[in-house]
Amino acid sequence: MPRVHLIGLATIGLVASAAGAEVEDRTVNRTVLGGNEFLAQGAEQIRVGQYDEGIRLTNIGLRQAPTVAERAAAFSNLCAAYAAKGNPDRAIDYCTQSIALKDHNWRAYSNRSYAFYLKGQYRKAHEDLAVAASINPDARQIATIRGMINERSLRPTVIMEDHR
Amino acid sequence: MSATRLGLPAAVCLATAVAVAPAAARKNHPSPALDPVGTWSCIVYSHPAFGDERVLLDVARDGSVRAAHLQDGEITAWVSLTRWEIEDATLTFTDSRSGRHYAADLTRATLGGGWRTLTLVGGWWCSPADFVAAPTIDRAKPEALMPPLLPSLTATPVYPIKAIRDAKQGRAVSCFLVDADGYVVQPELVELSDEIFRAPILNALARSRYQAWPDERVLRPGCRTFIFRLDPLTGATAD
Repeated sequence: MPRVHLIGLATIGLVASAAGAEVEDRTVNRTVLGGNEFLAQGAEQIRVGQYDEGIRLTNIGLRQAPTVAERAAAFSNLCAAYAAKGNPDRAIDYCTQSIALKDHNWRAYSNRSYAFYLKGQYRKAHEDLAVAASINPDARQIATIRGMINERSLRPTVIMEDHR
Repeated sequence: MSATRLGLPAAVCLATAVAVAPAAARKNHPSPALDPVGTWSCIVYSHPAFGDERVLLDVARDGSVRAAHLQDGEITAWVSLTRWEIEDATLTFTDSRSGRHYAADLTRATLGGGWRTLTLVGGWWCSPADFVAAPTIDRAKPEALMPPLLPSLTATPVYPIKAIRDAKQGRAVSCFLVDADGYVVQPELVELSDEIFRAPILNALARSRYQAWPDERVLRPGCRTFIFRLDPLTGATAD
């Protein structure tokens, strides 16, 4: 029986995408999940900030994931969890695996963008974010990450000239 | 000037009423609140490469406009411009020598607006001059009429965080009057690329000061251009 999980922004601004997505509200990140209970619970644990537990459950679910879509989502979730734990290198590795399986998963690009942001690789972060935005231009998470990147990578200057 | 001269001369009132009121009624356009008749001390600004000018404008009730420049501490001879017209609360006239076509929004608190030629644009802003223009002016008066407007404290606007997040850059020009104590009064934004920059600019102007001068009756016009720019941090684009 399908279950509805609201997958919102984690404290670090990441979305834990879920496996077995059947119906998706791309604006509010609502995903109706299929039957992989471990992946669903793993996503939920990541969402509430229990990253280690989320990673453990997701790894179990990953071993049981029969479809490419489920495996892609599981890798994206692991990417999100490791990025949230402050391990961007491992996060990037998982996101890259996810994208290799399913190259139109905006969440994987968005998560990897955040991981690049953590590493200070803002150009790569922008590139991934552009791909994510091309897939899902309405995702609020993308705008949030873009703002974070801009804060770190742009230097504001105000030039004034008096006319007198 | 605007408060004391709101009672427009009959001829001007009549002409304005005929020309403006029906259009205003049809299109819901604003009515002019400012009587432009009088002598004004103005700053005319443009691209930095062309510099700024201090100009005295004499807008007469008979529809004529004369201008005099301040050069080397002296006021030049008054030169006639084209006659002024008012339509939809906008005063217009042209300086045929420079080709500048001037327009002023008379719903503002003071006289000022923009000018354009075929290739250039700029702005102008005026304060009432406390004298009646004569064909020639005493050479001792210019400094009293137009004392140097020197900044003593130039506050920088805060770049809004939201603008940085949204990668918004922009440009604005604010024109204002400066009172004898050096405070900025009646600031208006005559150009504004994005509303997000309005509050920081007005806050900065409120904190800015100019050098004071003794004659409390004199308000001096000033304008300030603000450019909000975002540059990549060094090394930020390196991967």
